Amino acid sequence: MVRVTFVDVHGVEQAVAGEGDLSLMELAKANGIDGIAADCGGACSCATCLVHVDPAWVDRTGAPDDIEYAMLDMVSDVAGDTSRLACQIRLTPTLDGLRVVVAQQ
Amino acid sequence: MTQGTLAPEARSLLDTASMTDPIISARPRAYYAAMRRHDPVHWDEKLGMYLVSRYEDIATIQQDPITYSVNKGYHSQQAKGFQQEFQQILEREGGGYFPDAIMSDPPYHTRIRKLMEKAFSAHRVKALEPRITKVVTDLIDSVADRGEADAVQDFAVPLTVRIICEQLGLDWNMKDRIARWSIAVTAQIGRMQDREQMLGHAREICDLQHYLIAKMREREADPREDMISDLVHARDAEGQALSFAEAVSLIRALLIAGNETTATALGNLFYILATRPEIATLLQASVDDDRLMNRFVEELLRIEPPVRGLSRMTTREVELGGRTLPAGAHLLLMYASANDQEDVFADPRRFDLDRPNIGRHLSFGGGVHRCIGLALARMEIKVAAREIVRRIGDIQLAIPPEEIRYLPTVATQSIERLPIRFTRRG
Ligand code: HEM
Ligand code: FES
Repeated sequence: MVRVTFVDVHGVEQAVAGEGDLSLMELAKANGIDGIAADCGGACSCATCLVHVDPAWVDRTGAPDDIEYAMLDMVSDVAGDTSRLACQIRLTPTLDGLRVVVAQQ
Repeated sequence: MTQGTLAPEARSLLDTASMTDPIISARPRAYYAAMRRHDPVHWDEKLGMYLVSRYEDIATIQQDPITYSVNKGYHSQQAKGFQQEFQQILEREGGGYFPDAIMSDPPYHTRIRKLMEKAFSAHRVKALEPRITKVVTDLIDSVADRGEADAVQDFAVPLTVRIICEQLGLDWNMKDRIARWSIAVTAQIGRMQDREQMLGHAREICDLQHYLIAKMREREADPREDMISDLVHARDAEGQALSFAEAVSLIRALLIAGNETTATALGNLFYILATRPEIATLLQASVDDDRLMNRFVEELLRIEPPVRGLSRMTTREVELGGRTLPAGAHLLLMYASANDQEDVFADPRRFDLDRPNIGRHLSFGGGVHRCIGLALARMEIKVAAREIVRRIGDIQLAIPPEEIRYLPTVATQSIERLPIRFTRRG
């Protein structure tokens, strides 16, 4: 069980949990988190699953790869913040307790 | 249904203009601005549709694909006036009448879309890049020494057809037939065709379907690295394949959906290079800067969106932008207008590669119907931009900009011909 706290677009905290081979986006969709539209279904090509990772967690979520970075660059200040595409973060046990803020779009 | 004080020009536009008027349709920005400001969901009497002009209202529609139906919006337009006869011809002579499986609503749409996505994987797009690069460079090299060309007819259109052949795995000598088929299929939605023309188009579509069906049979037996193979072999999570009718309709859709849109985008690319030389110079200096090239493609798509408006139909009474729409209202989502909205994109007519939200334009739509070909389209435009500025320079319009004409359709804003002059580089 991996527990995640989303701060949704209304600023409301939502504590959810998921199991198995899931992305952070899939976990958000399964729990109806407001602000995660995920138009492209996780293909890293729409940026409607944008989140800001809590700075305390960025070491564990890691850095975006080149393709994700290019997408992020078009919708956020990727060089200066902790933005990630939720569909590109796999939920592993090391992410238990993760906290992310859903981006305003 | 107006808000604020109306300038006389805005009032007159809202009272008299229509997207069906060729003059408005060619230069629609003042009309869009008047709507956005005073009447965001505007009834266009001559078109018989509500024009939805604001970013936030379009976003609302995109998030509710059940209330705002693509299936009804699209299929109620198809072959308008001759629907039965059209379907009978295809059944009798074209191997069948295959409704467009992707022009549908969830939950059916969700299944189709998932199966279709197999053909648009990052892997497929990557595999196509070197082949598309070769097609692009061959074509530019063949015109580079001439010093003048029609950027649309000599370049954008033939290039797009060749790319589609690569992508779907069709034969190279198909150029003219693909162009005719494309016209015949697009004529079925929202364009004026009389009965004679409908009969001609229906015959073209029969021809197209026979060709595609034969190709599908080949790829069923002998899969290759192409999208027809991907689609005929696609299986969903339960191991189910597309039905034969679904697969024919989807392959037909791919042939058409990526054609005029991409050709239009490439025409617009030349238009920007010819009219904003500072951008052309910047690109020449930056061909190896992938970040800049990506941003250039997005800003090009935002400032000159190929698809300006697509349709939906309401399935119930609903409030939108301060107006109550009845069930069965036909809407045109004006993506081009939303891309010009000042409070979303500051100073919207400026070509600005530093926009913080450069990827938030609506040129690929949004929601569940967001363009499935967008990664491929972005790659094609980037490759074309890079190889063009490498090979030719000093691109200039050979006609005054006021003389540029557009294809007669509300769905896209496509330059018909774009005579240019240029010099070979290097
Ligand atoms: C610059 C080029 C392109 C532009 C501007 C563009 C634009 C769009 C737009 C605006 C939509 C949304 C439709 C709606 O709101 O109803 C769309 C959907 C679609 N596009 Fe594209 N497109 C491009 C290239 C392509 C290519 C290359 C392909 C395929 C080879 C493609 C296939 C499709 C399909 C199948 C849909 C329907 C998706 C659905 O309803 O689920 N497009 N496109
Ligand atoms: S779901 Fe589209 S980029 Fe993540």
